[in-house]
Amino acid sequence: MSMIKLFSQYHELLAQLTSREIKQRYKQSVLGYAWVILNPFFQMLVMAFVYNIIMRVPDLGVPYSIYLYAGLLPWTLFNNSLTGSVNSLVGNAGLLSKIYFPREIFVMSTMLAKMVDFALSCSIFIIFMIYFQIPVTWNILWVIPILLIQHLFTYALSLFLAAANLFYRDIQYLLNLVLLIWMYLTPVIYATEFFPEKYQWIFKLNPMAIIINAYRQVILAGGAPNLKSLGLALLLSLGILTLAYKFFKKVEGLFADVV
Amino acid sequence: MKDNQTIAISVAEVSKLFRLQKQRTFKELLPALFGGQKAVEHFWALQNVNLKIKKGETVGIIGPNGAGKSTLLKLMAGVTKPTKGKITVNGKIAPLIELGAGFHPELTGRENIFLNGIILGLSKKEVTDRFSEIVDFAELWDFIDQPIKHYSSGMYLRLAFSVAVHTKPDILLIDEILAVGDESFKQKCFKRMDEFKKAGVTIILVSHALGQIQEFCTRAIYLNEHRVIADGGVKEVTEKYLNGGVN
Repeated sequence: MSMIKLFSQYHELLAQLTSREIKQRYKQSVLGYAWVILNPFFQMLVMAFVYNIIMRVPDLGVPYSIYLYAGLLPWTLFNNSLTGSVNSLVGNAGLLSKIYFPREIFVMSTMLAKMVDFALSCSIFIIFMIYFQIPVTWNILWVIPILLIQHLFTYALSLFLAAANLFYRDIQYLLNLVLLIWMYLTPVIYATEFFPEKYQWIFKLNPMAIIINAYRQVILAGGAPNLKSLGLALLLSLGILTLAYKFFKKVEGLFADVV
Repeated sequence: MKDNQTIAISVAEVSKLFRLQKQRTFKELLPALFGGQKAVEHFWALQNVNLKIKKGETVGIIGPNGAGKSTLLKLMAGVTKPTKGKITVNGKIAPLIELGAGFHPELTGRENIFLNGIILGLSKKEVTDRFSEIVDFAELWDFIDQPIKHYSSGMYLRLAFSVAVHTKPDILLIDEILAVGDESFKQKCFKRMDEFKKAGVTIILVSHALGQIQEFCTRAIYLNEHRVIADGGVKEVTEKYLNGGVN
């Protein structure tokens, strides 16, 4: 409810801050915005080389490079959103201590900028889909609700991290470490089946694992996602979001004092 | 109900406690906790402040450094919340607390006008409508499509001030900013402020330049040691400040 009110009142501010974020980033680089597409692409190429040629992953039904890409792109979105959001309040200290508007706008604008990056970086993925002639079914429309759940989950964590980082800057360093471990506990570069069966329960509690499996299921396998797991991820995200939002609003009044 | 029509800002029994967090990282915090040091230190920036500012008043706030003047303005602007008491604001506030908040050096003057204008509460359409007025006032037509990192500090301030005064506020909060810029631009700013005054805009000005306050304000508030010491006519209050300032 309050989200809708926020959007109607502040959507122009949100758009301005988002476009500032996008514009400033690559102003002085030669390739400019192309880096957004090139970065995950080359990352995928390197990983695909290592795991396909050197480590020899077993047959997954689709070429490993596209299998990897389908997991790596949403993971990169998640990773970049969190590392961006954790600094979204600290980095806007000047604004924070001078003008009042709801502080979650900073977090939202960072996330929106990363969504734009994500959309662009998906372009090469689509070319891959066509090149490898992956059959597409109506189930691909599930991508929209899955992305929405991912977004809710990311927003919840972002609110918490951004606020906590204002009080203790260790959060941003801790986050990098946590994300590194988290990536290996999520089926990004491997398939769920490769993981020892006795530890597979980890994936049931990890919303990112559920989300990435769901993407692969609807895009690459053309099937419907596991609705029970997806529902669990949704519930978990909403639960964390409620807590994170309450925490954020509770400490919001202190932001200008501690920054 | 009646208060709404005549009072612009009401400050009722407001106190503000700052918690100075000395340790910013776990590395500093953990030994401090084990060593029995306090993790935070408290101090009152304002204590039991009561003010009612009427619509259309021009109020100067004076006092020595550290008296709580800027904290009071920040409370009025809503960037920080009072620890005790209540602040009610009727009308749209333009905080000129620091000019150019949200300006980004890599963006052009034009882009920054939109960014800053919208941050200050205008809609995109309103910025578009006032765009040429803003650039006229800042006298920056020749540089408007250059990144503002190439601007001189004077140009930067002119642009920032120009955006801020074109937001058509009901209440203007000004903190020490008129001490900048060259003489002719300063004149222009004061002319603009006079127009605001005539238009019935409530203006709250923090300044160390007593001359400015005597010339411009209709009421003065003297803050010292986190309390209101005197509140009333400009002449009496500034005299009291000068006398009090001796000891």
